[in-house]
Amino acid sequence: MAKTQVIRGTERNRKMINQQKRLKTINYLKRYWTLYLLLCLPIIYFIVFRYIPMVYIQIAFKKYSIVQNVWEMEWAANFGFEHFIKAFTNRDFLYAVRNTIMLNLLDLILGFPAPVILAILLNELPFKKFKKFTQTVAYMPHFLSWVIISGMAVQLFAPTSGLVNNLLTQNGMNAIPFLNDSVHWVFTYVFLGIWQSVGWNTIIYLAAITSISPELYEAASVDGAGRLRKIWHITLVGLRPTIVTLLIMNMGHILGGGFDRPYAMGNKLVSDVSNVIPIFVYNYGIRGMQFSLSTAVGLFQSVVGLIFLMGSNAIAKRLGERGVW
Amino acid sequence: MIKSRSAKVGDGFVAFICVLVILVCLLPLLNILARSLSSPEALIRNQVALWPVGLNFDAYKTVLSDSKYTWALAWTAILTVTCTIVSMFMTTICAYPLTYEHLKGRKFFNGMIIFTMYFSAGAIPNYLLNKALGLLDNPLVLVLPSCLSVFNMIIMRSFLYGIPESLRESAEIDGAGPIRTLVSIYLPLSKPVIATLSLFYAVGRWNGYSDALMYMVNARKYYPIQLLLYNILNSISSIEVATQEGFSAPGLSETLKSATVMFATIPILLIYPWLQKYFIVGATLGAVKE
Amino acid sequence: MKKKRVLSFLLAGLMTATMLSGCSSNNTDSKSTGTESTDSAATVTEPAASTTEPDENAEIIDGRFVETRKITVEVYDRSNDGGSKPEDNFFTDYIKEGMLRDHNVEVTYQIVPRWTETEVLNNLLAAGDAPDICVTYSYPTVQAYANMGGVTDLAPIIEEYWDYIPNLVNLLTEENIYYDLDPNTGTLWAVEARLFNRTPVVLFVREDWLNKLGLSEPKTMEEFEAMLYAFKDNAELLLGADADKMVPFSITTDVGFRMMDISESYIPNDITDKDYYIYSYDDRKLMFPSTKEAMRKLNEWYNAGLTWNDFAVHTDSGTVEGDTLIKAGYVGSLIQNSDQPYRNGDDGWTQSMMRMAGDDAAYITVAAFENEAGLYRKYMSSPVDRKVFFPASNSEPLASLLYLDWISKQENLTFLQTGEEGANHEVLPDGAIQSIAVTGEKIMNSQYNIDYTITCNGLHLENEELTLKSLALGYSGIDASYIERSFDVSEYSIRNIPHAVVGEIEAEQGMDTVLKEKRDNLLAQAVVASPDKFDSVWDAGMRDYLNSGGQAIIDERTAAWEAAYGDKVMLD
Repeated sequence: MAKTQVIRGTERNRKMINQQKRLKTINYLKRYWTLYLLLCLPIIYFIVFRYIPMVYIQIAFKKYSIVQNVWEMEWAANFGFEHFIKAFTNRDFLYAVRNTIMLNLLDLILGFPAPVILAILLNELPFKKFKKFTQTVAYMPHFLSWVIISGMAVQLFAPTSGLVNNLLTQNGMNAIPFLNDSVHWVFTYVFLGIWQSVGWNTIIYLAAITSISPELYEAASVDGAGRLRKIWHITLVGLRPTIVTLLIMNMGHILGGGFDRPYAMGNKLVSDVSNVIPIFVYNYGIRGMQFSLSTAVGLFQSVVGLIFLMGSNAIAKRLGERGVW
Repeated sequence: MIKSRSAKVGDGFVAFICVLVILVCLLPLLNILARSLSSPEALIRNQVALWPVGLNFDAYKTVLSDSKYTWALAWTAILTVTCTIVSMFMTTICAYPLTYEHLKGRKFFNGMIIFTMYFSAGAIPNYLLNKALGLLDNPLVLVLPSCLSVFNMIIMRSFLYGIPESLRESAEIDGAGPIRTLVSIYLPLSKPVIATLSLFYAVGRWNGYSDALMYMVNARKYYPIQLLLYNILNSISSIEVATQEGFSAPGLSETLKSATVMFATIPILLIYPWLQKYFIVGATLGAVKE
Repeated sequence: MKKKRVLSFLLAGLMTATMLSGCSSNNTDSKSTGTESTDSAATVTEPAASTTEPDENAEIIDGRFVETRKITVEVYDRSNDGGSKPEDNFFTDYIKEGMLRDHNVEVTYQIVPRWTETEVLNNLLAAGDAPDICVTYSYPTVQAYANMGGVTDLAPIIEEYWDYIPNLVNLLTEENIYYDLDPNTGTLWAVEARLFNRTPVVLFVREDWLNKLGLSEPKTMEEFEAMLYAFKDNAELLLGADADKMVPFSITTDVGFRMMDISESYIPNDITDKDYYIYSYDDRKLMFPSTKEAMRKLNEWYNAGLTWNDFAVHTDSGTVEGDTLIKAGYVGSLIQNSDQPYRNGDDGWTQSMMRMAGDDAAYITVAAFENEAGLYRKYMSSPVDRKVFFPASNSEPLASLLYLDWISKQENLTFLQTGEEGANHEVLPDGAIQSIAVTGEKIMNSQYNIDYTITCNGLHLENEELTLKSLALGYSGIDASYIERSFDVSEYSIRNIPHAVVGEIEAEQGMDTVLKEKRDNLLAQAVVASPDKFDSVWDAGMRDYLNSGGQAIIDERTAAWEAAYGDKVMLD
């Protein structure tokens, strides 16, 4: 008797709890349905333009045929992993992975702090017009295509006819092999990348700085803090969320990177460091018409990128920051 | 307030760095400008540094009198403005709901969106999609496929997080729905990020040509200016092609190449100074009365 | 509980996505199943031909279809400054009218940007929108498409309609038509356009510098080297203030091409056709064992300061060399196509040099490199040029063949290549055709309208004499004696290498760009290495080249030759 009573009781409870939950959900939706309405368009956009074509990613596991649609193509050998095996046993691919990681890491280590520092410096500049002028000029290189930049770089840094080396040799010093020696080339590549992007990247940090309340600075002055202290405790703290977000997203692109910069800046003498994954894909995949191979490599890049993204996101969260999701 | 000596030294150091930055960034552009105004002979002799040698406006005359370029410039401007507006709209309506911590399905939406930043299908599938949607040779193909950048959306969302929750709560108490809150509270406070992202979208659209290259082959009047520039730069490197084809195309001169670079770059350069007025400090100030 | 809900959302989303994608791929499906059914084109086109046979039997004798047929043809868009629309201009009108009048075939042109040709063609093929007639410079591209089932087999079509294409056969000759015939499978994926007026690679030397220094033309390698040193040592005399810009012998990043004259002289004179075939995958002679020593020479010259030191760091070295070194008059000698310095009139090398370095500045062709048999040997392969193929989506093979035939007919070819009298050219008293530079509607977007004369590369008029006379006129502002001399020298001891018909070499698939890059890297690095490192750099680079596919190609070519020709080492 008691048992059935208890059972019926718990059933009734469960029904009541479910009813309450449903009521909560209904009320929630009644109140916030507009949020879902707003999200409609973006979600449709992502499904149509991003997810639908992703069906083709399975080419990485199939034998590509340009006249068949993706469901008709045959599966590749070795349980579909043939293209991955082909890539990983290809010496050029392994070098490309090494080069990509090396160049991206250097870009990160040397190039990530640069816009932060510049933004802080610009913020410290008391002369408004000077500051505006510097900002505007600093972001101009971003608009030059890499084809043009590499042309200018060669004019400046060529081993015998470059402007810089001419000056050096005229003054009795040795020419520096900026572009024709692998190690030097890597640094030239990274520094030109910084030159091209630092002004542009400061924009975001400068925008973030505008949200920092000036009262904080005033209060700090009253407390006797010097300039450096203010930068450390106020500006950088205010920039932290932006820095963390951008850092996480950059980590996700560790195996990525553009095609234009290494393609334009590379030359025959430094091919062992300038060939990165996008160039490998271009030579083998697009020009060599091995579409499955290029999709397989792309999938590899994506998966690794996602792992790095999730990893750095988790680390950031553990350190108390708000992650990217 | 009289500045201490060390503060002045600091100012001087900062100013010095800024001067360096200006030189390093400005000089190469002056070089291109000078090249576009010089005579072809001077370019051959490699005599041009920062100042035109043999001042010569022919290249600009050619570019400005060719309606192909002036039309492309006007069209690209229209396209850029349209794209920026569409993109900012999409970005905002995507980022805003995701700032509601209690939004049901929020983690799913976030994951689904970020996933697309890393996984993409490649050139041919995108082409097939655009063809199926009827977007080939259609100006919309330059607007729709790229109208929402995940990177920019994340930036906007981060910025919106920074706006105090108390503002939203007080709006809700006053009976405002989420959209009303967005329009009357969040947007006015978001001027810096809206300016920043507008700039990003505008520059991205202005400089981009790879989508036009693939999807806009036949509809010439919709070619953005950067695509024209790309074609010019390619037709100049004609020696390799000449060896293959057995003839040399009448290549364009170096001056014309530099002039077109200037022509395609200057308009967008002028936008940032105009946008700078939105980068005002303390945009979020005064909204919260503690 | 929450997790479950998330999972179900995810599932729903994916299902919708796959459903939607299923829908959209059905749309593209109808087109691709269309092409799919023609993938074994040999079997399908025959029944198609037989069902349309009754219609074609109703063709009147002058070759017109009873019902209007429609075809699309690929045409390059070079986006020339001041050019006309490639798909709709004076010359396309001429072709369209002619095709409609003579064969009742409506022709439309599909433009493909010259610089992104492969990518755009890939897109069109994948979408089933490819033009009926396509053109490409690279045969491996056609082979790759064919292996995917994307190309129509031309063998049965040509055999069946042989009588309809007399002009095509006449212009191309059977050799070019069946050049790519696979003897093992009997398939023919493309026909080869014919190359006329070949301009082999020769050595050019500055005539005015030889005169100034009182040197005679070099006839041997030793004399050539002595000349280089003489140029270098007398830089001040020759260039005055620009002495430090002296470049006795110029090269670019296409090292193999720029050393071609010399590499060929190192090839053993008695090399068999078989060996030549085995090593000739690379068109810069890299695979020939003898090329290493030729490049060693260049390495010596580089280290002695006799060549352009910075050649390797320029990505567009050819343009930079032409525009800044050659036109300025700093280069003493170079190896190039036999008419390169004389092209382009005012904007060309010679005219520019004359403006910058004096009226007597000129390049003369010199035969300086003899092989070990004392001959100035040039190896010429068959006169093939572009490959013309029909994608599998082509449903009008006869109409397409008639198009190719029509543009190969001499009268039409002449019009396309020379244009309208009075507008594009003038006829001189001796009958020679003199081109006029045209702007506006009647402009030719490519020289001699090569973009439209896809079966022909090079001026080809009614007879050889007229062609030669007219060609000579094409070099405006240049003294005819230079041109004649250049053509003479190129003809010295030509050995024509017969084409080996061995079928598809699988190892060559997809390796084109990759091996070319490796070759150029190897050559550049070997040339700039210090002399004692030359061997190690060369050997390491060659090893990489061979391991990455070069050796596989050599092996397969050897096997294919032996399968086709057995023990024969020379073809007649």
